[in-house]
Formats: sequence, C-alpha cells, structure tokens
Amino acid sequence: MKAFTALVHRELIEHRGAFLIGPLLLLVVLFGATVLGFTVGRVDAKFSGALLTVAPLRVYELGFLGFGVAWSLYLMATLFFYAADGFAADKRNNAMLFWKSMPVGDFKMLLSKLVAAITILPGTVYGVALLSGVLLYGVAFVAMLINGTATVGALGAIVMIYGHVALAILISIAVGLIWYLPYLALIGGLATAMGRWAIPVALVLPAIAATLEWVTLGGLHPFTTHTWNYLSYRATFPMMEDGYIDSWFVGSEPFNALLFSNELLGRVDWTQVGIGVLFALLAMYLGSEYRRRSNDN
Amino acid sequence: MNELSLASQPDVVEPIVSARGLRKKFGRKEILHGLDFDIPPGRIYGLIGHNGAGKTTTLNAMLGLTNCEGTIRVLGEDPFAKRAKLMENVAFISDVASLPRFLRVRELFALLNNIHPNFSQDKARSFLEGTDIKPEMKVKHLSKGMIAQLHLAVVMAIDAKLLVLDEPTLGLDITYRKRFYRRLLEDYMTEERTLLITTHQVDEIEFMLSDIMFIRDGELILHMQMETVNDKFTQLVVNDAAAQTAARAYNPVYEETRFGQTVMIFDGVDRNLLEPFGRLATPTLSDLFVALMQRPTANPGNAQ
Repeated sequence: MKAFTALVHRELIEHRGAFLIGPLLLLVVLFGATVLGFTVGRVDAKFSGALLTVAPLRVYELGFLGFGVAWSLYLMATLFFYAADGFAADKRNNAMLFWKSMPVGDFKMLLSKLVAAITILPGTVYGVALLSGVLLYGVAFVAMLINGTATVGALGAIVMIYGHVALAILISIAVGLIWYLPYLALIGGLATAMGRWAIPVALVLPAIAATLEWVTLGGLHPFTTHTWNYLSYRATFPMMEDGYIDSWFVGSEPFNALLFSNELLGRVDWTQVGIGVLFALLAMYLGSEYRRRSNDN
Repeated sequence: MNELSLASQPDVVEPIVSARGLRKKFGRKEILHGLDFDIPPGRIYGLIGHNGAGKTTTLNAMLGLTNCEGTIRVLGEDPFAKRAKLMENVAFISDVASLPRFLRVRELFALLNNIHPNFSQDKARSFLEGTDIKPEMKVKHLSKGMIAQLHLAVVMAIDAKLLVLDEPTLGLDITYRKRFYRRLLEDYMTEERTLLITTHQVDEIEFMLSDIMFIRDGELILHMQMETVNDKFTQLVVNDAAAQTAARAYNPVYEETRFGQTVMIFDGVDRNLLEPFGRLATPTLSDLFVALMQRPTANPGNAQ
C-alpha cells in the first residue's frame, strides 16, 4: 500500500503543472481581474440605483457555483489530456527502463495512474476551487461593506453558502469522476500503446462501433443504433436534465447542497457505474499486458 | 560454461542466472539462437559483443523485459512472469539517462524509499556526498555525468543480489567512467553480489572482471573465467619473417600487422612452444574480442 500511495503521489509531482500550478495561476489572474474590475470602476460595488433589486448573497451563491462549474469543466478536460499523456509518460526520455527496474508490476503502475486521476489530481483542483470560493467570499464581503449591506448575519450566511456550494461541487466532481471513469480508462489504456493519439482514437471508436452494428445488424443509420444510444447515455452527466438546480434558479430559497446531492445521487445509474468500474479495470489490465510485453523502452 | 570454469566452482552453488535454449525472434529474424549459460553468485561478468549481437536482448530476457523461448531463471524465478518480485533483488541500469527527469533528487529518494523495500535513502545520500549533486536539484538540470553518478548511487543503495549494467557509462567522459567503475568496485561489490556489465569500452572494465562472455550474432562464442583466458590465449609479437612462418604452424586464431610488427593470438598453444618466436603476452580483452569475432567459435566444445 505504501508503494501504491507513493506511485499515486508521483503522478501529482509529474503533473502538478496542469493540476496545481496552472489552476493557481488561473486563480491569480481571475482574482486580479476581479479586484481590478472593482478598483477601476468596471463593477459598481455600490450597485447604484439597483441596490434594492440585487441580492448580494445570491450573487455570491451564483458566483461560487459558476466557479464550481468552470473548475469542473477545467478538471474534466485536463483529466482526459492527462489520461492520454500520463499513461504514456513513463516512456518519455527512456524512463520506462527505470520504472521497470522497480519491484512494481505494470498493472499496479497503471492502476496508480487511474487512481490518481480520480483522487489526488481532482482533489488538488477541488482545493483550488475552494480557494476561489474564499477569494470570491472576500470580494463579495468587501463589496457588501462598500454598499452597506454587510452585517454579521450576512457574514454567517456567506459561510453557510460556502459550505453548501463546496459540498455540491465535491459531490458533482465525485459523481462525474465515477460516471466518466470508463472513458478515462479507455483513453488511458489506449495511451499506453499509442500515447496522445489515444484521444482522437477514443473519439472515433464509438462511431466505428456504431457503424459496425449498423452494417451487421441493420438500422436507419449508425447514429440510431443501440451502441450509439448507449454511448450517448453513458456520455451524459446524470444532472443534465431539469431538476433541483432549475427550480432553485427560479426560486428565492438559498442553495441547499443536501437536496442537490440527494437528487444527483438518486439519478446515478449505479449498475452502469459498476459496469464502468469493471470496464476500467479491464482497460487497465489490457494496457498493462501491452506495457509488459512491448519492447518500446 | 566451459570445463575449466566449472571445475573451479563448488558443485552446490546455485547459479544466480541460468539459461537453457534461450531464443528470441523479432518478426522472422532470430536474434538469440539458443543460449545456454549459468552465472554463479559473487562474480563480475562482462558480456561483450558487437552492436546488434544480442547483448541487450539477453539482458532484457534476464530482467523480464522481454519474453523468450527456452528457459531462463534468475534467482530461481522466471523473470518475465515474476519481474516485479524479482526486482526486489535485482537492480539494473540500462541507460545512463533513464532516470525520471521531472523529479528532484530528494523526491526521487523519497519515492524509492516507499516503492523499493531494499532501497536505503541514507545510503543513497551518503553515496552522493562529495559530489555536486544536491537534494533540491531536478534530474533534468543535471549533466549526463551527474545523472550517471545519481543513478549509480540509486542502484548501489539497493541491497540487490544481482546488478545488471547495460552500457552504463555510454557518452560519459573518461573521468566519469573511471570514477563510476571505481566506486562500484569499492563501495558495492561483495561476495554475495553478482555484477553483469555490457560495454563497448572493454579495456576499462577488464581489470574488474572475473568472467567474460563474448556474444556474436546471437550465439555465445566464449564463456570463461578471466584466469582461464590468461592461461588459454597467448599473444605473440614477432618481427622476423622466418619466425612468423614458423609460428603460423601453430594456427594463430588472429593475425595482424601493427607498426611493422606482426601480432598473433593463439588459442591453447603451450607458451614454451611460442617463446622462441618473439615476445609473449596475454592479449587484452579488446584484442581477444577482435580476434575471436572473426572466426566461427572460440571454444566450440564448451561455449554456452
């Protein structure tokens, strides 16, 4: 277990640019832009003439949730690039020979990369997302001090909002990771053999599979086949359809992470999650067998 | 293994490496043609051959990096099936620049400390004392020589039974190469450890070898202890034309002219018979290598 944890940590060290330093730089730029917006008068902190129609706490809620969505999208995009790059990274600069001199099997090596992709790497981005919420909190509270809406009660309310939104982002990221795990593993497994080309190949594979079904079993066209429908279903995040978020958005109640999480978890097709985990393990096994047998050190 | 080298080994010693009928094909081309050899513990082996002779493939088979036909056992295990387990007791350097470049030296040591049960971080640090390598340095910022020093410190800090070095000093200058081998010999080698080296700079490792294996086109053409080499092969430097003709009667395995002198190498000829013809010496490994690479086999009866 100690070796496995160290290997997971190795992934963070190797990819800290994409998962830690890059997000922190983005955050600095974002925070700088926000502060600049207020200081040069682009944002009217006093909400002149509109103070009665603006609910500062709502603005904060929406802002933090917006950050959460943005960071989640950043994370998903980065993870797919990580899968294509990270699973082939050991070949870089001939380092495969070094890693193969370690008493660790190829399956364990690849599994550590997949585990890193759903734990420490998103965890780091989540940490940055939480930090962005803290900074937004600071900006929101200063704006409230300027326009005179800041109270001790508002301060407490912001803490509550922060907690709810942070929990909602955590649950969303966790669900996204387990839901899209088979896609990550597919790219990772392919990347073991073909490196970064795994991304375009993984994008083409569903179309090939659907076309094969259409050619062999018939149908109107490849995009009406069972294969295509299934893959479309598996590519859709469970929360896409209308639900709590929509009703909260048009209502006036504060955001409730428990209601959001209950609904999201209830919408997850857990059988498919289980199948996805098995598929991911199979992809890792096949990738590790390729890695074990290949001579491209 | 030849008769003489076998004679000097106790019967009960289990070989560290044992290969029987080891064959490897890449596509239709056969690279290894059925190698048979045993490597006993506590020896320093040199595996020497031309580029493409099959050295690295043989080492890869020992290290479980490639699957071969035939049988190979390292420390009693099938290396291809049990590579991960085997690597607890086997260390290797297959390239001077294979250390992961994204790590700092201290990160590398900390990682190895957790990954490798037989790695000692303290030993590795002590091996780096007196060098310019500092814990905060990133591997990618080290020179080639420093990376070689670091890699050597890493493998020497692993308490392994077998250390395999495949061209470990390729591209390094003479100072680093000499320091590398001196360090290896002084700080690492013990009676329990076995060392296997391949290099093209044969003369630089000759002093430390206990055994040699010459490989040519996927076949072992010589496998014997260095003492046996000294007894078996004789180099004769001869100037006189009549003496040359007379010496040729003893069938030299190799002959060349250097600076107006004729150099001949003989296999298994009594030195007393050759002494009247000129100056006798033991051929260097590189001379022997050049000589033996040009004939069908050096010891056809015994080479394995």
